[in-house]
Amino acid sequence: MDRTAVIGVGMTKIEKNKVRETFADMMWEAVNKALDDAGMTIDDIDNVVTTSSDFWDGRTISCMAVGDASGAAHKNVSCVEGDGAYGAFYGMTRSLSGSYKTTLVTGHSKGSQSVSSLITNSAFDPIYERGLGMDMITACAMQASSYMHRTKATPEQLAMVSVKNHGNALKNPLAQLPMKITVRDVLESEMIADPLHKLDCSPISDGCAAVIIAHESVAAKFKQKPVWIKGVSICADSFFFGDRDLSRARSLTEAARKAYAMAGIKDPKKEIDFVELYDAFTYQELMWLEEMGLVDDAMAGKLLEKGEFDMDGRLPVNASGGLLSGHPVIAAGLYSMAAVVRQIRGDAGGFQVKNAKTGLVHGLNGLGGQSHCVFILDKDK
Amino acid sequence: MTKIQMNGYEDSYVIEGKMALPYTYFAGRVGSKFITTIRDQKKIMGVKCPACNMVYLPPRQVCDKDFTDIRDKWVEVSNTGTVVNFTVVRYDDKHLPRKAPFVLALIKLDGADTPFMHILEECTIENVKIGMNVEAVFAKETTNTILDIDHFKPAAERLSVHEINAARKQWVPADEPDTQEKRRGGRPDMSKPVIITAALTGAATMRNQNPSVPYKPEEFAEEAYKCWKAGAAMVHAHAREDGGMTTHDHGRIKATFDAIKDRCPDLIVNLSSAVGMGVTPEQRISQIVAIKPDMASLNTNTMNFGIVERKTGKIFIDYVFENTFTMLQDFGKAMEENGVKPEIECYDIGGLDNTLLIGKQGIFSDPMNFNFVWGVAGGQAFRSEAFIAMMNALPAKANFTTCGVGTDQYPCIMQSCILGGHMRVGLEDNTRMPNGALAKGSYEQVEVAVSIANALGRPVATTAEARLIMGLRKR
Repeated sequence: MDRTAVIGVGMTKIEKNKVRETFADMMWEAVNKALDDAGMTIDDIDNVVTTSSDFWDGRTISCMAVGDASGAAHKNVSCVEGDGAYGAFYGMTRSLSGSYKTTLVTGHSKGSQSVSSLITNSAFDPIYERGLGMDMITACAMQASSYMHRTKATPEQLAMVSVKNHGNALKNPLAQLPMKITVRDVLESEMIADPLHKLDCSPISDGCAAVIIAHESVAAKFKQKPVWIKGVSICADSFFFGDRDLSRARSLTEAARKAYAMAGIKDPKKEIDFVELYDAFTYQELMWLEEMGLVDDAMAGKLLEKGEFDMDGRLPVNASGGLLSGHPVIAAGLYSMAAVVRQIRGDAGGFQVKNAKTGLVHGLNGLGGQSHCVFILDKDK
Repeated sequence: MTKIQMNGYEDSYVIEGKMALPYTYFAGRVGSKFITTIRDQKKIMGVKCPACNMVYLPPRQVCDKDFTDIRDKWVEVSNTGTVVNFTVVRYDDKHLPRKAPFVLALIKLDGADTPFMHILEECTIENVKIGMNVEAVFAKETTNTILDIDHFKPAAERLSVHEINAARKQWVPADEPDTQEKRRGGRPDMSKPVIITAALTGAATMRNQNPSVPYKPEEFAEEAYKCWKAGAAMVHAHAREDGGMTTHDHGRIKATFDAIKDRCPDLIVNLSSAVGMGVTPEQRISQIVAIKPDMASLNTNTMNFGIVERKTGKIFIDYVFENTFTMLQDFGKAMEENGVKPEIECYDIGGLDNTLLIGKQGIFSDPMNFNFVWGVAGGQAFRSEAFIAMMNALPAKANFTTCGVGTDQYPCIMQSCILGGHMRVGLEDNTRMPNGALAKGSYEQVEVAVSIANALGRPVATTAEARLIMGLRKR
């Protein structure tokens, strides 16, 4: 199969409330940063994929509303509804299609303008579930308790994820919540939905990210050293919670397995150097690592205690600070992808990890990680 | 819409808006029936997939596992169930149906395989735990929504077989000085624990008859565990290949045996000395000698063992199941010498007499354990008086259990339980429940056997009691 590479990334700072910026303002900043990063002009972009969600945008047919600021005028622009990683997947397939060589993928979000719990409540089944008041927080709280019930992961271990990632964010100027906190701070923060405390949850955030994905025939034509997409897969599980084993993410295991196979990875524990994954809640970092086969089952909490996932540990996880330190919904997966790209290029700045040759990007969609997207990015083609 | 000047920024203001879009949600014909059944009959209905046996709640049109159309496959599930997961909502918001704090739970109703969500009330939040039993409280006034079940509340505690057994005095042989006399006198001992055996697979039952038939060692282990949990003290198994064919391969039988023992170390495992058609006597007994299970089946007469259509008498498979006197003698000796207690299979009273005749050599140790088998095409069909004749022909210290093929299953075990004998159920003998629905596994039939024991006031034997009663070697 032909190959593609990420040849440019651009992000705004993630903030609690970008008071004076519209979606277009944020988009303009991120797209121009990505073009500068790649050494390209908007004329070098063949087509555009935006990611958005109508309810977070507060408008219908929202994908059509940021075309101007993303330079999509007169170009083929399409939209993915979901996490940015899914937008990147579609962008990649367009660069592989033969019709386009370069695809600009964007994701934007202003959580500050909406009420997330009402939006996620509306994602539940209108006949059977919505009236009960389920939302993303209660859904993930149930998943957290089933994961803890099965693996015996402790509240302290969950809290340590928060301590680590907020600590990592101190090295990332784009992060919203750089904080030096303790396990006790997390456990004493307000209980939101048992077993999740406030500091087990990611914040409401505003931000925009853009990545440029190029076909191999043009990947080396521009300024940046290409970061190659070696493997990728998306898999989805059942919609209804009761149909799934909530303590497991079968679809993630499958997505990871397929992405490893595509990338020629035989032993992911040894061959993946670092990870940026979707830590909307603390338990997710531990659970996703296990389900991706990067650590043994039910062992992530213990390995975390040993410091294995620290920025200088055996397998750095969310060195950027992750989503716990800033969670612009929809744009999130592109932020993770950009962080991995920068690590592999060696320009992650303060949060640069050592030996960053092969990195894993993880995005998800749906309630409690119904669907997962795994990318394997590599320095070498 | 209202404009609001933003604090500190003279050039910026925001507009307060709302995405309030009216929408009519069709509940679907499936959803409509679900809601109206709750409203009008206070019954909760799920749908059952005929291909994989899953009972889905909420009901839906298509099986999530195998893409089967299940929209009309209604089954009633219980109003009671178990909390499999929950959270305590500690915040207030517009979309929440109750003031915080309150409990949202995933509840698996009895008879359903998938849990569904609901509100849990009338309980102390601190006391809510995974595994607690709950029951539905229906709304006084209908809203034609899922809230026609207003909420769930804790149900009266139902004790499991194991909890009941832990609380009672354990049976010892001294509790029963003269079993045989009592039995002959028509006064069976209802205080004696009844041993429930689950025959997970035979040589014939396949997945196309019941998708829960285990083939792989880990599937046997899981089925065995479910049966033990439901109250079985023993499982009987014929190992299968991955594709379902019977096997006499020592490695495969051992792997199956070990998987069950690993999952449930206490459980008594009874293997078969009849491992499919066309195998030699040597192949039949050598695997028993090699593995040395707690028990093994010992067949007592050469007989027709066919598959014949019950209604028409049409012969599908005609097969002679060879069990000569020599095999009865040699297999019996081999088992006794290796500490494997024979389960003596009697397909009619002649088989029982064969055993007593050969047994004069002194092959069999007391107590002998007989199994009266009913309904094999080639053996006797279940008749109460035949059962009593066989029971009365037993040696003084012998135990008896029974199993029946197809619809003979439930009547014969019930009679055995009444007469002080033991009960065997399982997918080897019958794929269905008393109401004709496919059993979700042998464990569901074990639950029926437990309910028969409960109805008669007989305790269900623990594995330790079963070993004592049947004279098995210690674990």
